Amino acid sequence: MLLSRVAERVYWMARYLERTENTARLINVHTSLLLDMPEEMEINWFTLVKIFNADSLYPGQLSKMNEGDVMQFLISAGKNPSALTNSLANIRENVRTSLDVLPEETREQVNQLHLLMKESAYTVKNRQQRQLLLRKIIMHCQCIRGVLDSHMSRDSAYYFTQIGKHIERADMTSRILEMASLLLADNRSESVRKYEGILWMTLLQSLSAQQMYLKHMRPPIRGEKVLEFLIRDQLFPRALHYSLNDIGYYLEQLPNPELPLTMQQRITQHLQDADIMESRFHPLMDYLQEQLGLLHEEVAGCWFYPDFSSQQIQQQAQTLSTQSQS
Amino acid sequence: MKKSWDAYETGSCYDELMVSGRQPRQASYRLVEYLRNLSAETFEQYVQDSEKVIHELGITFTVYSDAGNIDRAWLYDIVPRIIPEDEWKRTEKGLKQRINALNRFIQDIYNDSEIIRDGIIPEDVVMNSKGYREACKGMTPPHGVWANICGSDLVRDHKGTMYVLEDNLRVPSGVAYMLENRTLTKRVLPDVFRSQLIHPVSDYPAHLYNMLASLAPEKDNPTIAILTPGIYNSAYFEHAYLAQQAGLILLEGADLVVREDDHVYMKTSRGLQKVDVIYRRIDDDFIDPKVFRKDSILGIPGIMRSWRKGNIAIANAPGCGVADDKVIYAYVPEMIRYYLNEKPLLPNVPTWLCRKPDELEHVLEHLPELVVKPANESGGYGMLIGPHAKEEDIEAFRKLIIKDPNNYIAQPTLSLSVTPTATEKGIAPRHVDLRPFILSGAENYVTPGGLTRVALVEGSLVVNSSQGGGSKDTWIVGDDAARQRQASQQLEEEE
Repeated sequence: MLLSRVAERVYWMARYLERTENTARLINVHTSLLLDMPEEMEINWFTLVKIFNADSLYPGQLSKMNEGDVMQFLISAGKNPSALTNSLANIRENVRTSLDVLPEETREQVNQLHLLMKESAYTVKNRQQRQLLLRKIIMHCQCIRGVLDSHMSRDSAYYFTQIGKHIERADMTSRILEMASLLLADNRSESVRKYEGILWMTLLQSLSAQQMYLKHMRPPIRGEKVLEFLIRDQLFPRALHYSLNDIGYYLEQLPNPELPLTMQQRITQHLQDADIMESRFHPLMDYLQEQLGLLHEEVAGCWFYPDFSSQQIQQQAQTLSTQSQS
Repeated sequence: MKKSWDAYETGSCYDELMVSGRQPRQASYRLVEYLRNLSAETFEQYVQDSEKVIHELGITFTVYSDAGNIDRAWLYDIVPRIIPEDEWKRTEKGLKQRINALNRFIQDIYNDSEIIRDGIIPEDVVMNSKGYREACKGMTPPHGVWANICGSDLVRDHKGTMYVLEDNLRVPSGVAYMLENRTLTKRVLPDVFRSQLIHPVSDYPAHLYNMLASLAPEKDNPTIAILTPGIYNSAYFEHAYLAQQAGLILLEGADLVVREDDHVYMKTSRGLQKVDVIYRRIDDDFIDPKVFRKDSILGIPGIMRSWRKGNIAIANAPGCGVADDKVIYAYVPEMIRYYLNEKPLLPNVPTWLCRKPDELEHVLEHLPELVVKPANESGGYGMLIGPHAKEEDIEAFRKLIIKDPNNYIAQPTLSLSVTPTATEKGIAPRHVDLRPFILSGAENYVTPGGLTRVALVEGSLVVNSSQGGGSKDTWIVGDDAARQRQASQQLEEEE
């Protein structure tokens, strides 16, 4: 028995939680990468803004694309909807309005995270303090996920958190993979060719995938193997295939999931059959992001904003209430 | 902290913890000894710890202001307030007696009006009560109980006598803060809980649930929800907290719909589902735009129809606010005698009714000494505190009273009791009141203690959280403490 409104809130809570952690991780890994790289490369601080598709929102001119300004934009700029502070505010708001279905400790964890950000947001231009802050944020996100995983019954509320988490994760993974198209481009620069190994490794690290890659795919780290792993691996929980599979699993647990489920199966199949090398790669990621957006709308139409006045739903309610009486 | 407690003086008001500046009351002996022995640094650390926990738990309330709504952290004072068990037992009895009479009164008013016919209460007093709802006539809610959740405000005078100041029967708030205050004290001062019999309060949500379940039209596995006006309401934290602790579904009006079968349904991810009991935290004015305020966007069109048919239970019942009126308050002792044929166990604060010419005369003569209240305001708004008021305010009130005497009552300015409180200058006495919560369904339940509200400003009598008041954990302490103290004193003497 989960209110549609609350279903939507826990779903978004999980999405923002995933977005926060991934963003924090990506920024830290990217920072570490750029410290190793020469300055004149295609990959720079602004690459991060591009990954979030936020180019058009970025206020400064080219001259302002330095580390400090980019970081402030990604972490604490109110104007950037995907800024970390905004994601955190959204987590908190969604938790506050669904306390009756979330484990009690979620509230405390989320408030701690909020206080941490409030006290430290001003430090983001300082590289050392920023990295410390982002590591703490990642840890808090892990704590919150831990509370959800260990204290929540496997009911509709939990399923919606899982669907939200994996839709967000797949979306984020595909955005990070888009960066890889820079590494695959025929016209890539000499410095990219020179640092290719490090760049692929960074890609894995930004998804916390390096260790599992080495274990399951074995060294060395090579481009096509990295893509194969991050797109089609069945065991690694941040691979696209894994996320889509999980979405399918949780959709099946919900009432009348036919429409979103059909869509999920179509996307999974497409990903399975696609040619992932070179020229087709970028369009594939675009396709995926677009389809994930549509899948979200399907989920919302099915459970968050169904037409309660329609005859079909009323009949459904009648059968349900007679069932519960018997 | 030694220094701070040394400077403590009790003054002319009744002190909840102390007999004199140095001598604690029997029930508070252990607590005061413990706190006195803490170093100033440790005590300060505990205060800071408590503030940190409040932020982490997100214990807030919303203050409405011109600058927008602000979520303020809950103000909690670390020094608990103590009431001895034997005194509390008497108070509890008095509270139950009072709520039972009030419920009988509301039932009577909406049905036979015997109390009016018998000339105990004038009809116009009832009809003029802001909470009177014509739409409730002829109704009998489950168990004949209208006010299922009541928060009564108790105060003491300088002699220590406990009076009922008001009966909050509409949507009394504060119980979540009572529960959180205990959580805070247990986290911050766990050591004082050892070897003392302090009555636990944490089962309130279970009692709340059972009471609500006892109202359900169908007894098996009822669906019970709490209805909130939403996140911008000052008590939203409490609504969410109670939902979480008692296992209620947290609803907003838009989650509900009344169908042609006159049952109330909520919109879930599995379609529409029937709701059996609603603990409403919105004024009945807003509950059904078809019956009451048409501009309400918080309510559920048609819910009154469903309620009248007995398809849904609403707590508190619509219309129960008729008895939450400061003029009707003056008649409660009469009600107790009339309906229960008992002597009132808890006294009312002496009250002059401005509607009675001789009492009005007295009030107008003594305005600078009195507290004057309009019949239907809460939260401490719209009242005159004579001794603290400016000359022009008193004159303004004089005009208001003469213009509409029926709408006003007056009471003596009580010198509310004080209790040791942590202030910037050390431990100092501050005025307090007490709001216990009384549940009434198939039976009555009274919280052991309640929410102690404290006026944090020196000399101030205003305890309302919306006006800068704070709160304290409230302990009902058993005789046990006194017994153990005697035992340990004996031991010391023998050594």
